[in-house]
Amino acid sequence: MASITLNHVAKHFGNKVAISDIDMKVEDGEFLVLLGPSGCGKSTLLRMLAGLETATSGEIHVGGRRVDQLPPSARDMAFVFQSYALYPHMTVRRNIAFPLIMRQFKWWFHIPLLGGLAKRRIERSPAVSELVEKTARTLSLTEMLDRYPRTLSGGQRQRVALGRAMVRQPEVFLMDEPLSNLDAKLRSAMRAEITRLHQRVGGTFVYVTHDQVEAMTMGTRIALMRDGVIQQFGTPREIYTSPANTYVARFIGTPPMNLIEGRIEGGMIMLGEVSLPLPHALAAAARGAGRDPVLLGIRPNALTLAAPGGQGQLTGTVSLVEHVGAESVVAVKLSHAATAHDEEGAVPGEIMITTQGYSELKAGDPVSVVPDLSEAVLFSRSTGERLRAGLALAA
Amino acid sequence: MKTPASHAVRMALIMVLLSAALFPIYWMVVTSLTSSANLFADRPQMLPDPSQAFNYAETFAKTGVLLWLKNSAIVAVGTMVLSILLAILPAYALSRFTFRGKGLLGFVLFATQMLPEAMLVVPLYAIFAKLLLLDTLGGLILANAAFTVPVITWILKGAIDGVPLEIEEAARIDGCSRIDIVLGIVLPVVAPTLAAASVIAFFHGWNEYVFAQTLVLSQELRTASVGLASFVGELSTPIHTVMAIGVMYTLPAVAFYLMVQRYVVAGMTAGSVKG
Repeated sequence: MASITLNHVAKHFGNKVAISDIDMKVEDGEFLVLLGPSGCGKSTLLRMLAGLETATSGEIHVGGRRVDQLPPSARDMAFVFQSYALYPHMTVRRNIAFPLIMRQFKWWFHIPLLGGLAKRRIERSPAVSELVEKTARTLSLTEMLDRYPRTLSGGQRQRVALGRAMVRQPEVFLMDEPLSNLDAKLRSAMRAEITRLHQRVGGTFVYVTHDQVEAMTMGTRIALMRDGVIQQFGTPREIYTSPANTYVARFIGTPPMNLIEGRIEGGMIMLGEVSLPLPHALAAAARGAGRDPVLLGIRPNALTLAAPGGQGQLTGTVSLVEHVGAESVVAVKLSHAATAHDEEGAVPGEIMITTQGYSELKAGDPVSVVPDLSEAVLFSRSTGERLRAGLALAA
Repeated sequence: MKTPASHAVRMALIMVLLSAALFPIYWMVVTSLTSSANLFADRPQMLPDPSQAFNYAETFAKTGVLLWLKNSAIVAVGTMVLSILLAILPAYALSRFTFRGKGLLGFVLFATQMLPEAMLVVPLYAIFAKLLLLDTLGGLILANAAFTVPVITWILKGAIDGVPLEIEEAARIDGCSRIDIVLGIVLPVVAPTLAAASVIAFFHGWNEYVFAQTLVLSQELRTASVGLASFVGELSTPIHTVMAIGVMYTLPAVAFYLMVQRYVVAGMTAGSVKG
């Protein structure tokens, strides 16, 4: 059993807080993805799990055993690095066998020749060689066992790194952006391969990435981080459909969720000059906001483009159309409503809408936008937190 | 774009430089195979005279050259081994650890190179006399290593800086202790630099003269550099004997270099990490 529990784990580098008081429980056999932008602390958290960084405070338990005081090798975890970190002077076979050789290592293995013979003997022992060859077969590396890392392609090197992790049969696999050095096609193939690996070998996986597609497709649960704090911890579906705050809403999804500024007035939401009736669930959530301004969060696929002039429609002009194969992404600058997109490069008042097929619209065309509020969520304008029915009642 | 003309110019330049480098060695061989009568002839002999090969046999028989070469080899190999052994851990520490006084330590190591050997001979002599290291090859090795360790430390530090930290972290997770990492991972990865550092230390020990002349007094512990210089007399110098010893003094060093030069190649780290 290899559940991972973090109790009030924090990490400070001098005065800088890298990880701030994280409490989390990852169940045995889960595929947890730590997701977030560069510098959010996700790699630091992974390295703390591995023992490559010490926690400033808090406790880490794996399978009920406290591990934060143990050296990396005693934690029964394997680590796959972004840069592969293969041993350049060893063949693929020796790279994969290395963790097994180290289990039987004696000090005198450092003596030249004698140590080399001893290591070769372990490498060729039936137990080790069978395991290495089985791992190599699983990863289609059999042909490359006697080659050196420098002669392999990026994808092959990453598979060797995976093999070195698998051969230990650890309880926990830790992976630090293992696919970010690969090209898009290979990344997609390796993504599927790692998911299959998780299904086949079991064990608990903790996977760090800044790529939301990897997070959404691979993870059974996602911890989305920002500035050392977990913003939301949930399944990919929960994170996509019920973002905990505006940061999560804007981080997940391509294009991201639109945030349109509004006001609640008697079961209706005022978006600029347009008043729309709120569905029951949203109306219940909105009660907590009182007369405070809110943000309507709505995914681009929950907005429909229509000819101008209808009732309950937002109006605007098309500012950009991007054709992405099966669908088109249309950017519309709203005429009377404001948005709360504060990322760099975001155009004030501009929302994104996805439409099926090839859109014939062009920049400057006037359009109306019909929101499907049954798929929308509400956020507090002041705190950015999601407004929920339960919380509203409690408030 | 390489044109035939630029290639020819390049080759010509290489030939000129090679000639300048190799001619003294050629002249040494020619002189060692020149008869005494022709040594000071108006028209110098440009080709070696094989009939004078007995000069080498005579040199072997009449001088202690074999003993000197053996002593030089002991000093050179000893300097090399001691320097490498003493430099590995400080180089690793300077590269990987953060500690108070690290910058100062690095500077002091460099500063040792600013002091000429001749300046240190007298204090070293006094210290060695007290430690009973005078007139021993071990003492000479120690004195030589004092000069080579700082250089080698810096060279190895530079190479270790280039070893990706992730490789060490991977090794830690795979069960290596710090010393396992240094000996089993870092040193093999920096093997080309280690070979280059060995060449530097070996040649320092092999060529060294000032300490060998001062700190070693016995005839039987003389190194080849001192033995060679002993032929330079006030009134006469047997040039062809000196040159014959010079050839014998050069050959083992060349052989050593040829042995290690195949390791002195870059690119060992290629493929270990993405880069």
